[in-house]
Parts: sequence; structure tokens; C-alpha cells
Amino acid sequence: MSLLGAITLLPLGVALVLLAIPREEESLHRGIGLATTLLVFVLSLFLLPGLEPTQWNSVVDWAWVPSLGIHFKLAVDGISVFLVILTAFLTPIALLSSWSAVSKRVREFVITMLVLETGMLGAFAAVDLFVFYVFWEVMLIPMYFLIGIWGGDRRLYASIKFVLYTMVGSLLMLVAILYLYVKHHEVAQTWSFDYDDLRRLILSPHEQLACFIAFAAAFCIKVPLFPLHTWLPDAHVEAPTAGSVILAGVLLKFGTYGLLRFAMPLFPQAVELCAPVIAVLAVIGIIYGSLVAWVQTDVKKLIAYSSVAHLGMVVLGLMAWNGRGIDGAMLIMLAHGVSTGGLFLAIGVLYERRHTRRMDEFGGIASQMPGFAGVFLVIMLASVGLPGLAGFPGEFLTLLGSFDSYRTWRAAGVPAMFGAGSHPKLLTAFAATGVILSAVYLLWMFQKVMFGPNANPKNHGLRDLSVREWAVFAPILVGAFWLGLFPGTFLDRIDPAVTATIQQFHQKYAEAPESGVTPRLMGAARTTATGSTVGAVNGARLQPAGMAGGAQ
Amino acid sequence: MSFDSAQLALSLPLLVVAAGGLLVLLLEAFSGTPARDEHGGRSYLAVAALITLAIATYAAVGQWAEAETPKAIYGGMFAVDRFALFVDVVLFAGAALAVLLAGGFLRTHRFEFGEFYALVLLGTAGAVMLVHANDLVALFIGLETMSLAVYVLTGSWRRSARSSEAAMKYFLVGAFASALLVYGIALVYGTTGTTNLSSLGGLAKGTGGAVMQEPLFLIGSFLIIAGLAFKIAAVPFHMWAPDAYEGAPTPVTAFMAAAVKAAGFATIVRLFTVAYGRPSLTFGAGGWASICAVLAILTMSLGNLAALRQDNVKRMLAWSSIAHAGYILVGVVAMARAGDDARGPILYYLLAYTLTTAGSFGVVAWIGSRGDERQNVDDWAGLAARHPAAALAMTVLLLSLGGFPPTAGFFAKFYIFRVALSQPGLISLVLIAIANSLVSVFYYLRVVTAMYFREAHRPFAPVRASGMTAGLIIATVGTLALGLAPGWVIELASKATLLGK
Repeated sequence: MSLLGAITLLPLGVALVLLAIPREEESLHRGIGLATTLLVFVLSLFLLPGLEPTQWNSVVDWAWVPSLGIHFKLAVDGISVFLVILTAFLTPIALLSSWSAVSKRVREFVITMLVLETGMLGAFAAVDLFVFYVFWEVMLIPMYFLIGIWGGDRRLYASIKFVLYTMVGSLLMLVAILYLYVKHHEVAQTWSFDYDDLRRLILSPHEQLACFIAFAAAFCIKVPLFPLHTWLPDAHVEAPTAGSVILAGVLLKFGTYGLLRFAMPLFPQAVELCAPVIAVLAVIGIIYGSLVAWVQTDVKKLIAYSSVAHLGMVVLGLMAWNGRGIDGAMLIMLAHGVSTGGLFLAIGVLYERRHTRRMDEFGGIASQMPGFAGVFLVIMLASVGLPGLAGFPGEFLTLLGSFDSYRTWRAAGVPAMFGAGSHPKLLTAFAATGVILSAVYLLWMFQKVMFGPNANPKNHGLRDLSVREWAVFAPILVGAFWLGLFPGTFLDRIDPAVTATIQQFHQKYAEAPESGVTPRLMGAARTTATGSTVGAVNGARLQPAGMAGGAQ
Repeated sequence: MSFDSAQLALSLPLLVVAAGGLLVLLLEAFSGTPARDEHGGRSYLAVAALITLAIATYAAVGQWAEAETPKAIYGGMFAVDRFALFVDVVLFAGAALAVLLAGGFLRTHRFEFGEFYALVLLGTAGAVMLVHANDLVALFIGLETMSLAVYVLTGSWRRSARSSEAAMKYFLVGAFASALLVYGIALVYGTTGTTNLSSLGGLAKGTGGAVMQEPLFLIGSFLIIAGLAFKIAAVPFHMWAPDAYEGAPTPVTAFMAAAVKAAGFATIVRLFTVAYGRPSLTFGAGGWASICAVLAILTMSLGNLAALRQDNVKRMLAWSSIAHAGYILVGVVAMARAGDDARGPILYYLLAYTLTTAGSFGVVAWIGSRGDERQNVDDWAGLAARHPAAALAMTVLLLSLGGFPPTAGFFAKFYIFRVALSQPGLISLVLIAIANSLVSVFYYLRVVTAMYFREAHRPFAPVRASGMTAGLIIATVGTLALGLAPGWVIELASKATLLGK
């Protein structure tokens, strides 16, 4: 078993062991859970040295059901490795943050978190679509329990809404996965769910469109993309702090990761058609999310809507489908995991002390909790996208990439559809207002909660951060600064993987049939069709200038 | 026709179960004054039944290698092939789970009687007969043997009005279905001059195919299909099922939902593949497949929509088992085109479904106490806090019914959908099935929500019986194991030979 396999399965194994320990031993359960997740994080860092960003690293490949072509195959490249590390980074923080907040059914809580971690790690690492689907569903159930058992007053409603929304998408995705699997068998005569095999399958444009919509539905609900976002505020508000941290920090990334890894590379012709539409929805999401966040009175709901806006930015970057856009989107994904995770932790700290999240109940907290005020400020500014902190490099690159994306789309004849040759630029301009709006509502919120007169007597004598809470926030602060000051650490590995993905995308695009032709495998066409010159011409048609270099 | 010992040996699983049933009956009759103590007065009968089932399973497994080449014995009436042996094992598993669940349940509700176990074994013997039947007459005898035993079992809880009502309904509708079946058999025999499935298949392939286009033959076949559709509770032949399932003693419900349905499906598969062949029997454009497609759509959709509205867990599971018959029918439709490839998925589904359904009804049987069956969803609130293991087991079983990975239910659905998608034109059927799974998630999770997310409003007094605990553990672990390591069962199921193919 490779390192990756061990990392993925360790939490699940420990969860099974915890089942055997009496539930009264609460601190033992917490201790083992924390130790396990910390160990997973440390081990996950060892994935980085010697990583080949464009190759599959640390491969696990077990024949699961050989006769049906199902392999338990896990691997990471330059894109997924950081999401694996982000997951491993946030899980111990979430566990530690709930040390005092979760006091009922501690054993179940720790087990749920561990199973959830295995689900998330496995889904990021899966390179077999069957395995991906299994892990995708496996992480759904623990999150349902997290919201339902340890959540707020409307937890029953929020938990079932979360499950049903996600299931709609994932069942559509299942049909599409099965369709690819069956088509691949028709063409290649072998059963396989392997991502590398299915990626070589070229479908007709209609089939691509149908499958892309099915995949995109699953991922866009998870993102969540406007107008599919309505489950998110409910889930966030009702979830316990640990659940919110994981939900915002990791689970939402599955939507954008899925688009980048599966939906877009598998169906290039469909992307050409759909990317502009999704980009428009993303920008609507950015502005709508920001405006709705602005008027919230509940701090947690405000953060939830800010997630809609931030993830909209990620989707915009992905839809640009050029090096800068995707690099930027990846950076925002990581930054959002750290900063929004941190914001939810901060709200958790306030909620534990005051048992309310209403903004007008607070005011002048900074004078009571100066240490907390500093931490909160840094995290909040990271979320705003202040240069030097986590949010900035990603947003900058994304807007740059998006501004450029008209080159990608013009080739596809899209501007005609929208009636204006400059519409990506216009979109980017709108998206940029989202950055301004995020500064408005976050600073506004910070001012109302932390500054001003400390008029409410209930806010007197709040104690500052404890040692445990400092331990929770310290890694978040490190992450916020690191992502802001040294984005190269990440980009050096992300960019080659992104460039390779884009190249494969264009290669596949070039080989795809113009109209309804029977599906076939990549490469096979070159010998039968008119020759490689056709591919080159088509490829050049879509190849945007400045893409190959990516963002350096 | 001669009865030599080789033929007897080949029908060993049937003989063992039938003999075991009679033996248990005798044991009960000669056990003197009935031991009425509350702690397992008749446990030895349950043990005898379990031993019988174990021996029968051993006999069936022992014939596996030999049955690679299918044989017909008893004058061509009785098929010995791997398909039948696989279903035999599924039936024995379902019967064993029912027996394990029954002990505690019958004692708790004070109506334990020895004939119960005998009837389970005799019903199983009928089901085995049905599964092996290569002749319409043998098929009818098997079906009636099975059904009569189950009618009695359904009404065995004499003090419960619901049980008597259920038995009455089940019996009347069942007798009606049997009449349809017999009439259909008569018409088929009248037009073709044979009741043997292989001979019918030969007619379809050979020059006698014209006879299969005759209206009387078609009506006869349709009546046979309708009769079998009653047994598997396919919509619109399902009206008896919710009441019968709800009213029957819960272990009997488990037996009905699991074993009776599995036997019914095995018969349908054999009848359609062997007697009617692929395209020869035409009803409308697509042959019998189009009838099954309509049945599948109706069964899935109505089953799930009705289950959505139930507050009673047992009745909800009854409707859900109707819905599952719809998913299996999707496999039957695929069989029309995919032929042999579709048998493996159907067999796997039957096994997965038997474990899961018997297990989930088992938890329903477990949770009740004397005079208080606790069947309402609200009665399940807070179960997880008091009885975490049972709640976990029920969650696993419900997730399996809902088709969540990594459980048997997910893999079974995947396997069926895979073969259906491989055939052109069935994608819409798969999409309907998937939409139905989504609906089903809602009502399955309703129970999970009650167990985990709500507080108990009155204490639980569940059945305490080691047999029941063992049954629940076997069903739950089996459901997980089949989902995590489905490979070997798939290997076996895909190698299931069928006589006449």
C-alpha cells in the first residue's frame, strides 16, 4: 500500500477501532481522533517531496471487482495533492475546535469525523470513477449526521435538504459515469472505470452535452452555483462549527474540483458550449452572494453567502479554461478553505461564549478579547483578498485569466451568441465588483461585531482565546500568510498539472468529431480520419494565446 | 420415467428441506405436553429447522460443480442447473433469517408454536420446487405448496385481527392468482400440446413457432405472467401486498418479502428465457419485454410514491419491497436483449435484496414488545441513543435499500443498471429507476432521522433473543460484505447456467 492509500484508509480503520472502546471514555475518543487526524496531516505532507505534478503519484491500484473492470485506484497529481493536504489540514483543526462545543455523543462525533475524512481524502484521490462515486457518497452520510445530530434548531430540515440536493446531482452523475463505462466497453471491448481510460473516449457532441450536464449538475450543486445554492445557508447555519469548517473548507471544493478534474476534460465539446453560460451564472452568484451577505444579521449566514460568492469566483476561473484562470481558481480553493474555515472557527468562538450569532448582540468585543480581535482581523482580511494574505493571489490570477478568456470563447463562436465581442471582459468587470463587495460586507460585519461601544452588558468580561483555541487558530494564520506570501509553493506544482490538463483537453477537442459520429477512442482516429493535420487545425482554433505558459 | 437414486441425489436440496419440514412437524407432535416456559420452549425446533437449512445449503453447494452442465430429471420436470442452485441458497438464507428472527418474536408476542418452523421449511420446499420447475405443472405444484404454507404463516398470529385480515386477503387474492395461472397453463397446453418449458422453447425455435402467435396461446401466456406478477407483487397486481406484509407476523413478512419474491423472480426468469425465448413471444412491439417494462415502471414508481406517504415503518418497508420488485424487473427487461448476461445481475440483486430486506424487517420485529409493536416512525425516535448497535444496523440496511455505496444494495442496482444500459433503448428505464431511488432516499432517511436526530419520548423494550441478534448481525454484516467484496458472488452468479439455454 502506498502512502496515499495509508493516509486515506487510516481514519476509517481508527473509526472501527473506536467502535470497540466504551462510549464513556470521551477524552480517550477525542485524543485518539485528534492524534489520528494529526498523523494523517503529517503523512500527507510527505506526498510533496518528489511529486511529479503531471504524473499520478503514490498510486494504489487494487483489483476490486476485476470482472467488471472496477479497480480501487487512488493517486494524486499536482492538482489533487493540495486538496488532499487541505483536507488533512482542516480535519484536526475542526476536531480540536469542537473540544468543548460538542459534549453529547462524543464517540459518535469522532467516528463521524474520521469516516468523513476518509470519504473526502478518497474522493480527492480517486482516479477510478466508480471509486470516486463511492467516496463521494460515503462522505455524504457523515455530513448528514454531523448536521442532524449536532446541529441547531432546524437541523432536521437542513440535513435532509443537504442530502436530497446532493443526491439529485450525484445520481445524474452516476448515470453519466455508467454511460461512459458502457460506451467505453462498446469501443474498446474492455470494462473500465479508470479515469485515464475514460478520458480517451470521444463521444459525439450530443452525448458529450448530456453527460456534461449530468456531471456539471452534481458538481454545480456542490459548489454551489447560483441558483442551486439554497441548501448551503441552511446547512451552514444549522451545522456545528466543525461541520461548517469541513463543509466550507473541503466539501464545496468537490464541486469545483470535479469540474476541473472530470466534467471539463472528459467532454471538451460540451465545455465549449456550456462554459459561457456557467461563467455568467458564476458572476451572478458572485454579486448575488455578496449582496445577500451584506444584509444578513446572522454572522454565520453572512459567511455562508460569502462562500457562494467566493466559489463563484473559482468557477469563473475554471470556465476561463486557461492557465491563469485555473491556477487562480486552485489558489482560491485553497485560500477559501483556510480563510472561510477560519471565519467559521471565529464565529464558533463567539457563539460558545455568547450563544448567539446575531450581529446586533455584539459590539466592542475587541476591547474584551484583543487576541481574538487580531486573529479574526487577519482571517477576515485574508477572506477579503488583501495583498499579502491568502485570498489575493488567487483572485488576481482568476480575474486575469477570466479577462483573457474571450480568446477561448471567441474561437467557439460564443460572442455572437451573446451579441458582444467583449462579454468576458464585461463579466470580469462585474466579477471584480464582487471583490469590492466582499470587502464591504466583511469589514462592515467586523466593525459591528468587534468595534464600537461595548454597550451590551452580556459582552462584558468575555475571556480571550484559551491555549486550545490558539492552537486551533495558529495553523490557520500560518496558512493565511503562507498562501499570500509564497503562492509559488503551490503554483510550482499546480501549474504544470494544469497546463498538462489543458493540453490534453485541446488534444481531445481536436480529435473529436464535428457532428454525430460513433464514439471511439482517442488516438484511434488519427489513423482513420483525414490525418493529423485536421487535429492541428482544430487545435489551433481553440488554442488561446498566452495559455501555454500559464501564470508564472 | 424411472426414479433411480441418481435422480434422487440430484434433487437433494428439495428432499432435505421437505423431509426436515415433516420431521419438525413430527417432533412437535411427539414432544408430549408442550413446554410453555417463556425461555425457549421450542428453541430446539428452531435449531432443527436451521440444521435442515444448513444441510440443504450444503447439498445445493455440493451440486454446484456438477450442475455446470444443466440436467433435467424426473421426466424433464425438474431442472438441475446452477441458476436454480444459486436461488436455492438465497431461499435458504431467507428462510434461515426468518427462523432466527421468529424465535424471539413469537415468544415475545406469546404465540410460539412448533408448526411455525415446519411451515417455514415446507414453504421453502415449495419455493425450491418452483425454482427448479421445468414444467408448468411442476411450477404450479411448487407455487401452491409455497403459497399455502405462507397463507397459514400470515394468519398464524391468531389474536391479532390484522394478521387474520392479512391472511384472508392474501389467500383470496392468491387463490385468484393461482386460478389465473392454471387457466393460463391450460390454454398453453391446449394450443401446444405440452407443458414442458424446454419443449415450448423448442417450439419457439423450430417450425412450430406459428402456434405461438395464436391468440389462445398469447392469452394463456398472459394469464401465466399475470399469475406470477401477483406473486412478486408487481403493480398493478400488488393490492394484497401492503396489507399482507403489514398484518403478517414480522418474521413471516421477512420470509414473504425475501424468499417468496426471490422464488417468483427465478420462475419468471426461467419461464421467459427457456419457454418463450428471446423474440418469439410477441405482445406489442417488444415482446414480453415491453410488458415487463410497463410493469417495472409502474411498480417502481407507485411503490416508491406510496412508501413516501407511510408513517408506519413496516408498511413503508412493504411498499419499498414492491418498489424493489420494479428494479429487478428492469433486469428482466434487459434480459430480453442481453440474454445470459442479465441473469448474473438478477441473481446478485436477489441475494442482496434478501439479506437487506429480511434484516430490515428483522429490526422491525426486534423493536416491538408485547402489546406494543412500535411500528410508527415516531416510535423509533431516539433509538440511536439507547440502542446504538441496532440503530447502526438499521441504518446500514436502510442505506442499502436506498442504494448508497458501499452496501450490497448499491452494487445490486449498479449491476442491474449496467446490463440495462448496455442495451440500446433502455436508458429511459434506467433514468426512471434512478429518479425512483432519489425518491426512496427521502423515506429511508426519515427513519434514520428519527433514530438519530430526535429524542426518545418513551423507553424501549425490545425483544431480547440471541437468535434474533444473530440474525440481525448476519444480515447487516452480509449486506456490508456483499457491497465491499462483491467480486466472488458476481463470479458465481455470472457462471449460473440455465437448463435449455
